Amino acid sequence: MQKKECMKKRGTPVMRQEERTAYLCLIPAFVGLIFLTYVPLFAVLVLSLFKWKGISAPVFNGINNYIRLFAVDPYFKDSIKVTVIFSIIAVIGSMIYSLVIAMLLNRKIPARGMFRVLFYLPYILPAAAVYIGWSWLYETNFGLFNYILKAIGIKNIMFLNDSVAVIPSLALIAVWLSGNLIVIFLAGLQNVPRVYHEAAQIDGANSWQRFCNITIPCMSPIIFYNLLMSLITNMQVVTPALALTNGGPGNSSMFMTYLMYKYAFKSNQMGYACAISFVFFIIIAIFTGILFKTSKSWIFYEGE
Amino acid sequence: MKKKLLTLLMVITLPFGVVACGSSKTEPAESATPATQKSATAETKDSTAGEKVHLTYALWGGEDEAKNTQKTIDKFNASQDRIEVECMPIPWETYMEKLNTMAAAGQLPDCAIMSEAGVIQWAEQGMLYDISKMYDGSEARPLDSLAFTYQGKPVAYSTAFESLLLYYNKDMFDKAGIPYPSANADEAWTWDEFVEVAKKLTLDKNGKTPNDPGFDKDNIVQYGCMIENLTWQLEVWCLSNGSGFYSEDGSKVIINDPAAIEALQKIADLYLVEHVAPLSSGLTDDGVQRSLIAGTCAMTTNGAWNIGTCLAAAREEGLNYGVGVLPYMKEKVTINTGGPNVVFSQTKHPEEAMEFLKWYALEENNWDALIATGIWMPTLDSYYKDETLTRKWLENPAYPEYEEAKGVLVDYAMEYAKPASWYYVNNTTDFNSLLSSVLGDVWTGKITAEKAINDCFVALEEAHAGNN
Amino acid sequence: MQNATVSSTTQMIVRKNSNKIEKIGNLICFAFLIMIAALVMLPIWWIFRSSLMTNAELYAWPPAFLPNKWLFSNYKETLETFKFWLYFSNTMKIIVPSVVAGTFTATLCGYAFARLRFRGKKLLFSLCVGSMLLPNMVTLIPLYMMWTQGFGLGNTYWPLVLPYFCGGGAFNIFLIRQFISSIPRELDEAATIDGAGRMQILFQIIIPAIKPAMIVVALFLFITLWNDLLQQTVYINSPDKFTIAIGLSMFKSGLKADWAKIMCATCLSFLPGVVIYLFGQKYFVEGIVMTGMKN
Repeated sequence: MQKKECMKKRGTPVMRQEERTAYLCLIPAFVGLIFLTYVPLFAVLVLSLFKWKGISAPVFNGINNYIRLFAVDPYFKDSIKVTVIFSIIAVIGSMIYSLVIAMLLNRKIPARGMFRVLFYLPYILPAAAVYIGWSWLYETNFGLFNYILKAIGIKNIMFLNDSVAVIPSLALIAVWLSGNLIVIFLAGLQNVPRVYHEAAQIDGANSWQRFCNITIPCMSPIIFYNLLMSLITNMQVVTPALALTNGGPGNSSMFMTYLMYKYAFKSNQMGYACAISFVFFIIIAIFTGILFKTSKSWIFYEGE
Repeated sequence: MKKKLLTLLMVITLPFGVVACGSSKTEPAESATPATQKSATAETKDSTAGEKVHLTYALWGGEDEAKNTQKTIDKFNASQDRIEVECMPIPWETYMEKLNTMAAAGQLPDCAIMSEAGVIQWAEQGMLYDISKMYDGSEARPLDSLAFTYQGKPVAYSTAFESLLLYYNKDMFDKAGIPYPSANADEAWTWDEFVEVAKKLTLDKNGKTPNDPGFDKDNIVQYGCMIENLTWQLEVWCLSNGSGFYSEDGSKVIINDPAAIEALQKIADLYLVEHVAPLSSGLTDDGVQRSLIAGTCAMTTNGAWNIGTCLAAAREEGLNYGVGVLPYMKEKVTINTGGPNVVFSQTKHPEEAMEFLKWYALEENNWDALIATGIWMPTLDSYYKDETLTRKWLENPAYPEYEEAKGVLVDYAMEYAKPASWYYVNNTTDFNSLLSSVLGDVWTGKITAEKAINDCFVALEEAHAGNN
Repeated sequence: MQNATVSSTTQMIVRKNSNKIEKIGNLICFAFLIMIAALVMLPIWWIFRSSLMTNAELYAWPPAFLPNKWLFSNYKETLETFKFWLYFSNTMKIIVPSVVAGTFTATLCGYAFARLRFRGKKLLFSLCVGSMLLPNMVTLIPLYMMWTQGFGLGNTYWPLVLPYFCGGGAFNIFLIRQFISSIPRELDEAATIDGAGRMQILFQIIIPAIKPAMIVVALFLFITLWNDLLQQTVYINSPDKFTIAIGLSMFKSGLKADWAKIMCATCLSFLPGVVIYLFGQKYFVEGIVMTGMKN
């Protein structure tokens, strides 16, 4: 009701004042967006039409970079497949893990503060160190995990050396690293009005029903945020390939961003790398778009 | 209240930012800020005679090395009054990113040490200055095998001569009662002899070797060997089997040659068939630590720099290791490499940069930090020919016994070392990374080397031609 | 107001009934958490125990859970070359202004998207979300050219700090927006009726309610900046301006592969992050109490 009235009142001083406030609030962000994101993005788009190696002057190349990418490139198709599979495993894994942990940490359990630090720790650690640590654990011949497996009589798993096992192994690290999601969930759980839970408890709802009917809907904006953030960060994943696998074995961990990195910084093919990053931008945009489209049906905004 | 607090915060923040950044900005302009500015001022400096030319030298390496390099450079700065060099340490992890970014912006340092694999490519793209005149008319010349050549002209010289060799654990050999690998190339093992020795040195948890009945291949506690399978090091085995990655002049890819494929399969079979080696996928650069220092392998192959980078310290902790020549398949061969020093074509002062690099490459100038410690092998041929100099170099506590070290690092290296292909072949970065990806499933036995190479041969050729 | 009274009476009833069940539940949860926490800590413990070992021990087989001798001297030796305090103060010069400004501008922006009505909202919001889809690496070179050639700010902290005065990143704007969206709108509508302006509502109602979210944003900004190796190495040239991330990476680039000391430096480098988190987490608990009362 009120909303409709306001819409009609577009020209009124109240509305104009609201608009002014909004633009004022958005100024810093949009200066940033324009100069730090969209102008460079446009530059990337333009460069993707050039053959540009090293310091030689860029040569106009039309859409040849794109043709090469789709028709010839030996890594491209694998890299999309690998990235999508990795993202799906990592996103689902880390969402479940972090929501469960956050729910547990939100209870009145002993040493809650300590636990919160413990689960957040992996996120704080410098990525390079994290991957070195994990590589020791994963080492096929002498690592701790295989030592344990051997001790209980299971055959070795070739974690990072096997083209089938490498993606789940890296996804496990991604799940382990998702301390940031836990923190957001924790903060979000505090916004679930306690009265709802108490009222439901009086009505005899068990904790699973309360979880499905109260916690999830109230948390839906936060769940959506975490889903989106973890989808985007996992689709842009590059550090495991840089630190551990170099995209191997085979192309089994040739993530999209790593492929772009390889062309841009290892083989000096800036124009081509720009074309790749533009295609990846669109792929990520499609996934994000799907997520946004489907979100409308299940997000419940308190304010609306 | 809240509003006041936040405004207060804002008020505090802004000047803090200004101070924090301002303080760094007001520092002297010569602290290696954009080359454009610098060279602009430098040009005016040139005209006003007597003022110093300012050079920047980029390098990777840890704090220690940066400090030592700066000390060395200070000696150079003090030795003459025309050139002032400053070093710009960059962490290895992001070294090429930074150089590439600076190159694109036209702000490269004047000279730098680079990764071997990129040199020819950078030369092709016109980023390296032609340094063929650098050693004109000077007596002390680096070994010919240390020049990176593009279109017949040298574009860089390695700062060190590093050859591949065989490291072994003497205690494990003593325990098994097997004679040590020889340091004399005339007595080098054939591949089959090498595998036989490796079998005798491989033990499962019951102390059985692969030759014994009832050997438990899933519970090996000590492996006989580990051949380092970083892609560039694999080249030596293809050469050893009478083939190689590329044809003699580097113009053609011949890795689909049956002999080359056979060599790669033999390496994979050490794990897959013979059970004498651990699984290694050629991705990380800590092979010596994982094998020899960890005490899990009796023998391993790797570059000479490991003497200084990790084995010297390991020996202090009790590792009794020795060096020997590589086993061979058909031909006795090893390969050599070494980080190249380059002058970038963007520099305004190529002459001065070359003068500095020439000075810097002299052994006596980086002796303590790099050569005496075993990290670098000298580049001047006199160290390999004049015994007093050889002794001066090898009779350092970091090195193994003199006879052994001389046999492998001097005699073997001089007679049998070929430069790694990146000294003269273009696009080795792309080729090596594609090959590494192609071979990934060969090490685990999913496919044979033959199938892997033949399936991707066209892509490998394209990579070599610079088309992908 | 009404809510509060309802909640206190219901609370009493509920407590009587379910006190026991909740206690048992908590105990089970506690046991479960300990198990998971042990698994989560394993890699971290691995890094830490490695920092106290000799290099031979570190790679030894079978792998040891505890160091043979606890070599705390490794830390002393590490600090001799790892200039922790210099790096720390340099990093702080980047982090303090960035975190404060980033959190503040993200809040402003998130508020506008969540609560205010204005023309072009949809477009602006899509632009904002769109900027998240681009990995930093893509725009590294154009931005480097802009900062160094355009503004002559090479080898300064400006290119690292200034972006955070511009909204603190789309992720954070979006996070704040989501949190504001989950706060009942009745609260600010009541304030509007009382004659409060839009900015007053932000400062008096919204900000207290989303304090946990702001703390989260500040923590994220802190960690991101703390570990941002790529941007920092690209812009900073002189060793006396090196940050923790660069320093750690330099330490690792040493020609001598001394993993035990590298792990020492790593452990040292993430300590401040832990301290900051502990500090932030305190406010976090406070936030619970405040929003709890509001409801």
